[in-house]
Amino acid sequence: MATSAAAPASSSRPALSLPPSQFARLQPHAYLLAHLSPPSTNNQPSIRANGRAPTQFRVTSANAGSLTHTNGSAVVRIGDTAAVCGVRAELLHTEDIASWSVSQATSSNKSPRSADQTEELGEQDDNETIERERAHIEDLNLLVPNLSLSTGCAPGFIPGSAPSSLAQSLSHQILSLLHSTRLVRADDLRIWYQPPSMGPEELERHNDEEQMDVDTAQNDPVEESPREIKAFWVLYIDIMIISLAGNAFDAAWAAVLAALRDTKLPKAWWDVDNETVVCSDSISDARKLSLRGLPVASSFAVFEADAAAGWRAAVIPEAAEMKAQRLARKGGVSERWLLADPDGYEEGLTQERACVVVDKDTDGKVIILKMEKNGGWTIDTEDLQQLVDLSSQRWEEMKRILDEC
Amino acid sequence: MTADRRRVNGPPSGTRPAVFTADLQSGASATDRAQRQRQPSELRKIFLKTGLIPTASGSSYLEFEPSASLAAARANPKSLIPPSSALKLACTVHGPKPLPRSAAFSPNIVLTTHVKYAPFAARQRKGHIRDSGERDLGVHLETALRGAIIAERWPKSGLDITVTILEAEDDRWWGSAPDSHDASWGMMNVLAGCITAASAAIVDAHIDCLDLVAGGVAALVADESGNSATGTTKLMLDTDPAEHRSILSACVVGYMPARDEITELWLKGDSSKASLEEGDDRSGHDALIDGAVDAARGAHTVLAEAVRESLLRNVGQP
Repeated sequence: MATSAAAPASSSRPALSLPPSQFARLQPHAYLLAHLSPPSTNNQPSIRANGRAPTQFRVTSANAGSLTHTNGSAVVRIGDTAAVCGVRAELLHTEDIASWSVSQATSSNKSPRSADQTEELGEQDDNETIERERAHIEDLNLLVPNLSLSTGCAPGFIPGSAPSSLAQSLSHQILSLLHSTRLVRADDLRIWYQPPSMGPEELERHNDEEQMDVDTAQNDPVEESPREIKAFWVLYIDIMIISLAGNAFDAAWAAVLAALRDTKLPKAWWDVDNETVVCSDSISDARKLSLRGLPVASSFAVFEADAAAGWRAAVIPEAAEMKAQRLARKGGVSERWLLADPDGYEEGLTQERACVVVDKDTDGKVIILKMEKNGGWTIDTEDLQQLVDLSSQRWEEMKRILDEC
Repeated sequence: MTADRRRVNGPPSGTRPAVFTADLQSGASATDRAQRQRQPSELRKIFLKTGLIPTASGSSYLEFEPSASLAAARANPKSLIPPSSALKLACTVHGPKPLPRSAAFSPNIVLTTHVKYAPFAARQRKGHIRDSGERDLGVHLETALRGAIIAERWPKSGLDITVTILEAEDDRWWGSAPDSHDASWGMMNVLAGCITAASAAIVDAHIDCLDLVAGGVAALVADESGNSATGTTKLMLDTDPAEHRSILSACVVGYMPARDEITELWLKGDSSKASLEEGDDRSGHDALIDGAVDAARGAHTVLAEAVRESLLRNVGQP
């Protein structure tokens, strides 16, 4: 996988000659560096050991809705990294929430119907709606993403043991991104109930839940008692990384996104007789989640020719001068490369990572939803600008892939 | 019980699975229950591919053909409740690799098998921690494979086999009420799939084996066509539990055709009282084992083809 170059003819070579695959294992840093900085005599462009250009992403494919027992599912492959995501919806009854009645009393008494209408009208959410959404989705834990690496996806992870710190950190990154992008609308997860106004003639209709349902949907009389939330859908979003070859986050997030786009929630209502929520199994009653936008994650790594240079400059001042001389000889080319979508081999050789999550609105304006950079100090503002540009190109590509699946 | 702090936990009060109106009204939907469309000795098609996970030494992916009712439901979706499900699993093999220094000396390769259901694999949500059923499957799988691997070629080494089940088989049809004939029949099919897939993955990892072990399932099913008073039973190969009203007994084998050897045998249910068709004077469990071996022979042809593909792919590489 590392290289497709033909094995050298060993007979005529000196004894110490190594085939590329062994060189890649013994001197990984020098191997990648040699690929990225070809000798100036031939006009080869700088290329990564896996044959990609530095800003090129791996081939991505997505497939949704193939798992039977899920409300929504997707498989996303980015190169050799494969993630399977399944979304299962379960019900959280408000009577099971310990603090529910208290929090309802203290929270706003605004009619929920008007909140719905503003949401339906468009993105005119006022602060109050946002706060209510946050309170419901985050405080009640309605989104439960869990990522599992214990699938034998890579040699380092022992199956059957507790989630590794990488798995834990990825789960939490996905959770916080789900919260901060407000991807899932809280209103899709609420199950409302309209208590009938307790007139004597209305009591007779109690048995007929169908009729009551029509009531809640259509007429909106003034004297009606306020609607109440009887239950919430809780989305269990489970991601299994089937194969791990670098950049697990992009693959996992793309799988979550594709699975949520595929998710159908059944129509559910409060059944007064059984005092529980029942659902219709008819597929025509079920509705898809209406997600907010399409946030696409793109990860990058920075490969440095001499990672210790920065430290050396601080400790040994002469080293910095030497480096400056060498740079001058090379024509001022900085010895670092931004690698898009690093694979497992490159991840092992780089310290500095950046992750940008972007979305585009209907006018094609790029919205940055998350920007994270850690592990080093070489990415500057210009580089970040470049990363955002690359991410928005990637967004177009991912949108096409996700629309097709 | 304290919450698992290493995972994202849901609401602390727990959640309830959705209840469908179709579940509440029993009997009404009896007409559209899943029916077996195959002949008693006809197996489902198996999709088996090796080498899908390049980071592992060997890997395979196995999928059963969806049953007729599931295929119909997919082509023309009406209900959110799937009529049956089709097994989907991925298997990876890591090794042979040196045992840790702390491990005791072993003259043979040390097999470790892990079988884990994805949380969304079954009709009921599965937990993240392996339950006893999954551990049991792991032990059965290890037994099936240990007989085939030439273990003394790798002293002081370990081999990790991990099976992730993305979609499991049902134990019974979703609409039928639990009754006395119930057992986890779906597990038998899952084990057969695990054995076949793990065998392919081991060969993909270039581990020397005596033969390819294939898994097969057969079951004695109460005849539904005649009146049940006579109590005739039929032997069915590769049973999908969702398609049968009552399975009396089922058997899964791990079988090596070249040596005519059974490495793993697991028989569940009561086969003693079963009366087979006229002219068949085998006892119930003999018939079951023969049937399961026949099913395994069928799976072996798929396995051999997958292994051939794996070899052809590997020959091209340096």
